Amino acid sequence: MNPIFPSPEWLNTLCEKLNRDKKYASIAARWEGDMCVVIEPSGNVKETIYYYLDLWHGKCRRAAILENPEEEKPVFVLTASYDNIAQIMKGKLDPMQAMLTRKLKVQGNMAIMMRNVPTVLDFVRCAREVTDEIL
Amino acid sequence: MQPILKINLSTGICKSFEVPEAWVRDYIGGASLGARILYEYLTKDLDPFSPEAPLLFLGGPLTGTLGPAVGRFVVCGKSPATGLWGESNCGGFWGPELRFAGYDGLWITGNSDTASFISIIDGEVTIQTADHLWGLDTYEIQKRIKEEINQPKAKVLAIGPAGENKVLYSGLFCDHGRTAGRTGLGAVMGSKKLKAIAVRGAGKLLLAQPEAYNSFRSSANRFLRNDLVTQVVHELGTASITDYSDYLGIMPKKYYSQGIFSGSENISGSIISETILVGTSACHGCVIACGRVVDVGDGKHRKGPEYETLVSFGPNLLNKDVNSIVHLNELCDLHGLDTISTGNVIGLAYKMYEDGTISKADTGGLELVWGNTSSAKELIHLIAQRVGIGDIMADGARKFAKTFGVEEEAIQVNGLEVPYHDPRGASGMALVYATSPRGACHNKSDYFMVDWGQTNESIGIGYFSRQDGAEKAANVARHQDYRTIFDALVLCLFSNIPIEMIKDLINTATGLELSQEELILSGERSWNLKRCINIRMGLNKANDKLPQAFLKPLPDGGSAGYTIPFDEMLDAYYSAREWDKLTGIPNRDKLEKLGLKELVKEFYFTNPDD
Repeated sequence: MNPIFPSPEWLNTLCEKLNRDKKYASIAARWEGDMCVVIEPSGNVKETIYYYLDLWHGKCRRAAILENPEEEKPVFVLTASYDNIAQIMKGKLDPMQAMLTRKLKVQGNMAIMMRNVPTVLDFVRCAREVTDEIL
Repeated sequence: MQPILKINLSTGICKSFEVPEAWVRDYIGGASLGARILYEYLTKDLDPFSPEAPLLFLGGPLTGTLGPAVGRFVVCGKSPATGLWGESNCGGFWGPELRFAGYDGLWITGNSDTASFISIIDGEVTIQTADHLWGLDTYEIQKRIKEEINQPKAKVLAIGPAGENKVLYSGLFCDHGRTAGRTGLGAVMGSKKLKAIAVRGAGKLLLAQPEAYNSFRSSANRFLRNDLVTQVVHELGTASITDYSDYLGIMPKKYYSQGIFSGSENISGSIISETILVGTSACHGCVIACGRVVDVGDGKHRKGPEYETLVSFGPNLLNKDVNSIVHLNELCDLHGLDTISTGNVIGLAYKMYEDGTISKADTGGLELVWGNTSSAKELIHLIAQRVGIGDIMADGARKFAKTFGVEEEAIQVNGLEVPYHDPRGASGMALVYATSPRGACHNKSDYFMVDWGQTNESIGIGYFSRQDGAEKAANVARHQDYRTIFDALVLCLFSNIPIEMIKDLINTATGLELSQEELILSGERSWNLKRCINIRMGLNKANDKLPQAFLKPLPDGGSAGYTIPFDEMLDAYYSAREWDKLTGIPNRDKLEKLGLKELVKEFYFTNPDD
């Protein structure tokens, strides 16, 4: 049974998938940087969720739900409302479109980000493939 | 609006021209208003280098205010490169300064007997000899004219040697390498023997509702500052898109023939920002500051290349040395050449050399081998001076290829060289290039960004896959109309603010009470007017085409194997535009809906009141 998104099980499953996905390993081979995905309340989600992922050379070294966003100082912070994240997860909103239309905010080193857009897009592919059970 | 200053260089007579209010309401300003003003003067028989040929400089209603990226002006006329409508806009500080000097535009006709420059200082106009300044590069001329008129804070717009020699892709330059580069209007200025225009003014711009405007422009600047595109372009310049464009196979390599180049990872805005970037530069009042200042190791601060230039002299020539691109860019700026066309024509020469169409006997001994930047440097000199093979190349890719019997090899549309966004990776650009009023242009609609996902649902610009076909034709037309508003204002394309904000800025600046839909309609009206001007000058449906190379798939890279369904796309585009599918002329009903009664009369030979 697939884990539901969002949930701790989903996050762990994503980390496992990133560690065994060959395509991701290849595309993200030069990626160095952790990130925090901030899911802001909307729709079925009533409180802000902070997903932390330590991504390094095509692998996920650690995944955790942060109670306090100050616990980590990630290289990138991606922020979106739950509704927009859900649209991305369902494949109804293209992640580049989300970034270019202000539905997904990105903070961090833009030089690294722009050089690694394919990595970000493949990360989203992996996230989508973890489950089709969206809250 | 303030008057337009008319100067006849043949007679020296200066007059003031008041723009009819109805034209301002219908066209707003900039290139749109320019098309309306020049409508009756642009004919098929008009020689762009004749004294009668106009050169019209216009700002927009926001130019010079502290609005969001509104420091631009446009220059309009008949393009000597295309024989069609010519327009090219430019940032920096010259446009705002012209308005501070008391004029919203400058309309030049006539030809000077000897080289001259115009000085407009707080409304006082003088035409002075420039014989001793002829031949100076575009940076030196700015310095010398400021000294001559004793106005160190004057803003100077000038041509370089390429404009003097009427190179068909020479531009107008001001400030730190800001350029009105496209359509060869620098050559028109050169034909008038007009070397430069200096402006200085202390006037205050009158706004219809100054308090409301200030409130809106503060909000707009805050919004813009927080926008992701702004942040990326500020940090990495316009070349920020290079990596992703390369990944998708949109960035051309080896004169648009390859999708992969192993050195392309060295050519990007990210690499520049991490290696040679030492600062940024901005146009008037701009919060984005996309301009790059670089040091390639000699301690000298130079203008850094933006995306088009980076690709033009980089992957297009299979060159992976960023420093050499900085130098080639600077050389083009000094001579007064458009880097898009220059790199395109040089890329064509390299291809013709590789194919055996030309040889060392034609090139004066130069080896045009891919990646050879010293030959590219030499060609730039030859083009600007019209020496040797440079004299043929100075007439643009179309004429250059035709001279050697390979016209279909030229990557151009209607005489304007294609910029660096391959439509096989972003199919919307196929329609954009084929139907732009000024030939192959990426600024009349930067639709590649929509193909990436920069949609605008509030005005009906939706999302289609980047390699979709006819289904996106109406979306492309809508985006062209939307971007034509930017050309009217003259608003930078990076001013990524909602149309609601644009509307509020226009209305509070001008007192017009335009609705959002009226604003879009103004863009559509202008697009159709320019289309009709071009039809009068000889354009027909056969001109709406792509270079042959784009009709075949790329062999490799992120867009390999895709064939653009161009005929179907164009057919759907004509339907969306309500243009006649046999002639390419806008339908009578469409012209009437847009209020273009003069055009109904011109093209349908009946009384528009019938």
